[in-house]
Amino acid sequence: MTAETAALVAPREAGRRISFGWLWSGALLVLLTFLVIYPVAMLVLGALTNTNPVVDGFGIYDLSLKNFITVLGNPNVHFALANSLIACGGGTLLAVIIGLTFSWVVVRTNTPCKRFIAAVSMIPLFVPPLVAAVAWSILASPKTGLLNTMIKWVGIDFRFDVYTMGGLIAIFGIYYAPYVYMFTASALRNMDPALEEAAEISGATPVRILFTVTFPLIAPAIISGMLLSFIVMLGIYGIPAVLGAPGDIPVLTTYIFKLTNWSPPLYSTAASVAIILMIVTGFLVFLQQKVVSGRSYITVAGKAFRPGVMNLGPWRYLTLSLAVIYLIVVVVLPTLALIVAAFRKFLFIRSVESLFDLKQYSLIHFERLFDNPLAVRSIWNTMEVGLITAVFGGILAFAIGYTVHRTNAAGRRSIDVISTLPVAIPGLVIGVAYLWAWIGLPGGLYGTIWILALAFIARFMPDTIKALSTSLLQIHKELEEASWICGKGLLGTIRTIVLPLARPGVIAAMTLLFILAIRELGSSLFLYTSNTMVMAVLLLDYYEGGNVGITSAFSLVQTLLLAVLIGIAHFLSRGGADTSVGRAG
Amino acid sequence: MSAELIVSHLRKQFAVGRPAVDDVSFRVAAGEIVVLLGPSGCGKTTTLRCIAGLEQPTAGTISIGGDEVAAPERGVHVPPRLRNIGMVFQSYAVWPHMTVRQNVNYPLRHRKVPRDEAERKVDRVLELVGLSEYAERPVTQLSGGQMQRVALARALVYEPRILLLDEPLSNLDAKLRLRLRDELRRIIKEAKVTALYVTHDQAEAVVLGDRIGVMENGKLMQMSAPVELYNKPENLFVANFTGVSNLIKGEISAPGAVRLSTGETLRITAPRGKTGDAVLVAIRPENIQLRPNGEGADTNSFPARVIEGHFHGTQTTYALETLGHRIEAIELGTVPRFSAHDTIRVVIPPDHSWVFPQ
Repeated sequence: MTAETAALVAPREAGRRISFGWLWSGALLVLLTFLVIYPVAMLVLGALTNTNPVVDGFGIYDLSLKNFITVLGNPNVHFALANSLIACGGGTLLAVIIGLTFSWVVVRTNTPCKRFIAAVSMIPLFVPPLVAAVAWSILASPKTGLLNTMIKWVGIDFRFDVYTMGGLIAIFGIYYAPYVYMFTASALRNMDPALEEAAEISGATPVRILFTVTFPLIAPAIISGMLLSFIVMLGIYGIPAVLGAPGDIPVLTTYIFKLTNWSPPLYSTAASVAIILMIVTGFLVFLQQKVVSGRSYITVAGKAFRPGVMNLGPWRYLTLSLAVIYLIVVVVLPTLALIVAAFRKFLFIRSVESLFDLKQYSLIHFERLFDNPLAVRSIWNTMEVGLITAVFGGILAFAIGYTVHRTNAAGRRSIDVISTLPVAIPGLVIGVAYLWAWIGLPGGLYGTIWILALAFIARFMPDTIKALSTSLLQIHKELEEASWICGKGLLGTIRTIVLPLARPGVIAAMTLLFILAIRELGSSLFLYTSNTMVMAVLLLDYYEGGNVGITSAFSLVQTLLLAVLIGIAHFLSRGGADTSVGRAG
Repeated sequence: MSAELIVSHLRKQFAVGRPAVDDVSFRVAAGEIVVLLGPSGCGKTTTLRCIAGLEQPTAGTISIGGDEVAAPERGVHVPPRLRNIGMVFQSYAVWPHMTVRQNVNYPLRHRKVPRDEAERKVDRVLELVGLSEYAERPVTQLSGGQMQRVALARALVYEPRILLLDEPLSNLDAKLRLRLRDELRRIIKEAKVTALYVTHDQAEAVVLGDRIGVMENGKLMQMSAPVELYNKPENLFVANFTGVSNLIKGEISAPGAVRLSTGETLRITAPRGKTGDAVLVAIRPENIQLRPNGEGADTNSFPARVIEGHFHGTQTTYALETLGHRIEAIELGTVPRFSAHDTIRVVIPPDHSWVFPQ
């Protein structure tokens, strides 16, 4: 090509590229508006009206701040908000103690079996919160709890009661400690050991070093993990629904659901409370992002450190036993409780002999579970929703991730921001927002599988994009540029270079999305109908119906299903998706 | 407060491989600066960390000011915090969550020094390192050189018995390194502290050290004053490491004479070995004298041919062919005297050539 023709062709090419870029960004923005902005806007409008979308149909009347202000002054809301803050605050404190202890044990001590402890510290991320809560209610309900029964056999005059604020805090704390652990363990690992050695030379004792140098230095990581665990606890529905109901401890999430279940349903009050929850969450997410992006004390970059390891002497067996106890509390006891409850005809256990009496055990609860057509349908529905979410959510996330990270398309900043927004919206709030956005529309999506899938896609978009972007960013830009030089176009390059290289990441991200979707409870609550019943909602129904046997059986089925899927995801991503699985709670 | 350091038969064996430190013994007199010099992985940092107490030696003893601080055979291991030593790290290791004053004051907090006395001490040491105006700044606002001064002040503030420095300048840029290098010696001498300094940079070692110990493969090859190290290398490694680039093969033909394979005889003052030994004659490129052809013939004067010359601005290096070898010579001056293919004469100085067994 001569210089002249090049000059002639270039502007036209460039012009076409720009208009195509706009078209593409525009399409993505429209899609994101449809998925995120529109429902949230409807939620805000819903909070400002006093109409009932089910009765009055689609349309907003009587817009005024009055409704929202009334809600702000409602003592019930205050009570729920206070409960939420106390439960999450206490839970976070406990999570920090557990998470920090284990990260220090794993990174900085010579405790035996450290790999085992590291794995144990992450396990709770994979336990569905609802199942954990169900299991613990079987273990430690004040009257019939298995632990209490056993304590009575031994003759100790003490009873656990998990249906209290203390119980709620304890369960929150032990199941959300991994968030603190993840952050602090990597901060400890990346810390220059010379910083502690200098303190040692300066004459400080090991304990003083821990509190004057080590912990202050990883303070950003501690705060970050703290905020994240607080955020997740705040948005969770399953645990407070199971543990808070008997003792009448409403938190924001359970209160919102209760509002929509009254008759007539108070949808606009629910929207207002949901907005309060969203504002609190948004503020915390903002704080967390600030801490994460803020000045880090980890100064020397890209250098591998051999962290100084403290010789604990005989105490190292104490730290190991702490990990074993944690494993027992988080996994072993709940699993045993579910197994006993699922296979026993009656949960009442008279004596030790009765516990091991095989005649007391049968498959009756499983039979009854699978005899219920609703249960079978819920499993299929869940799989269907999961599949739709994974495929479409994965494709959308890839499109967004590629556009944001690998092109200079116009408007990609806005795309990035909007697609990250759902981080600050708890699942339950998404559910209420989607309810407001679609319930009034005649012949619309409400009542179909698709509304669930769309809500899930929106809710988990940030996690999916993050998981995908990691593998996208690993593909060096020059690999693509080389393909362009060779004469391939943009789409051809994506098809022949980017997709094949990013495939493990894309598959892992889709699997992650599938897992997140099938265990999601918060947003499903407002969007399911009897035709589109999903597993998590039905499990809660069984629990609230009081049938412990079937609830446990169903819990086991779900846990097993999840375990298999997480195993597949782990295999596909070689650990890459692990941390994200739990992120959405 | 400075104290004598005695290291004897120190050995450190990590889990795998050869020992990192292998039978190292030396003594640092009170107030002396000794530099451990060697390529990376030679065991110099491990030696230093054993003295600090951050590593436990496998065998040998270390004593500071007469107190035995490490003697694994007898189960003696005094923890670092009780050794009363100061240490400056390669990565500075100043605590980013504290101000300059808080950093420097930290060791005094653990020594129960009264508050006003501590304040005085901090002020004095900050003045010594030239950071008086920066006392209240957060350390994260300082440059690398300033951070290293903070680290130095922190190590000196409690008047430790010994100051250990682990490549303190290697994270700084070249210009700053030169400036701080000269200043470091002044500060250490002014503080009158015994110092052990680890580096891989010869220039640093020569400027800073009263004596230099060269290490290789965990062994201490030679420890002597800089002038002696450069003019009386005890072995081939030290000779090579300090910049000897010319090695000529030969055989001792008589005391003070080495016969080369080409037939010529080199006169060497104070040779090692006995007649008949196969040897290598080591000659520093700076010590070879170049003469135009035909100029007077002294001892060890041989004809040579210039292969090539490289002009470096203030000096010129020549590759020469002589005595059946390719030899490197350096001549100072901004005007190169010879060019390629010239035939010249070289004079190998008998006083500054050394003989090592082949």
